[in-house]
Amino acid sequence: MASSKLRGSASTGEEELKIDMSPMIDMVFLLLLFFLVNATAIIVKQDPKVRPPVAANSLIAQDGKGRIVINVWNDGTFTNESYEKIENEELITELVKKEKERIDLLGFKPKLHLRGDKEAVFKHSRQVIRAAAKGGVDQVVFAVYVTDK
Amino acid sequence: MARHKKRQGLDEDLPALDISSLIDATFLLLIYFLVTTTIQKRETDLDMTLPAAAPSETPPDIDPKFIKIDANGAVSVGAGAAQIPMDTDPDSRDLPLLTADLMSYASAAKSAGTNSKPLVQLYVDGGASQQRVIDVLNVLAGVGISNVTFTDLIDP
Repeated sequence: MASSKLRGSASTGEEELKIDMSPMIDMVFLLLLFFLVNATAIIVKQDPKVRPPVAANSLIAQDGKGRIVINVWNDGTFTNESYEKIENEELITELVKKEKERIDLLGFKPKLHLRGDKEAVFKHSRQVIRAAAKGGVDQVVFAVYVTDK
Repeated sequence: MARHKKRQGLDEDLPALDISSLIDATFLLLIYFLVTTTIQKRETDLDMTLPAAAPSETPPDIDPKFIKIDANGAVSVGAGAAQIPMDTDPDSRDLPLLTADLMSYASAAKSAGTNSKPLVQLYVDGGASQQRVIDVLNVLAGVGISNVTFTDLIDP
């Protein structure tokens, strides 16, 4: 025969305490939507060693199709989109030619996406533009920031 | 009394979905994305077409504007004896003198006729910084001049 105390504890066990999780789920979905809306599509891979210059009249990139990315570090080193070093101008021309063929097959217009560091001297950028022109690409896009901040 | 007992029994038998594991997984994903996210500044485009892309059969009615950028960042307009110094402060991004000069050039080109698209030839010293060249290209984009050529591209 159970005591009255034991019976009391059994009766409270039936009425389980439950946490209402719906506001928590609401909050999680809200955060998820916030991140989804704020996310921007990556146009090209951005080499973190390059800090582009600032130009207030620049335009937001519409798409990343047909872009041949060359990074110019402030010491004059050239890298491709995969951050691999390109030793000289001839190799840039070769790369541009190869990429141009690939992009032409896809049906896009090839363009040089020049990511030059703001402190780099212009002769290096000029080398890239010249090499691209030799490779048959005459559309140049300078990667810049709209503001300093 | 008996009916009440039957109803209570039905309530207890209702199937319930345990969503706590779902919430666990969602939070795990959320924390993963929060931790791995790196905030990257958005880059924008400053377009330029080399003159070879759009060769002109007929010579333009208006003379091209010649802009020179020195290694120290000084910007001047015109060539030879007609060279006029413009903005000399390399830390100033605005280039007000060059902007005013290019605006008058662009409006003169507009009033000159249909075959007078404003054309700018840039001579950039090899030692000039990328930022300074972009400053000038930025002014050109602001004024609406898209025909830009580097005079020393072939033989620097």
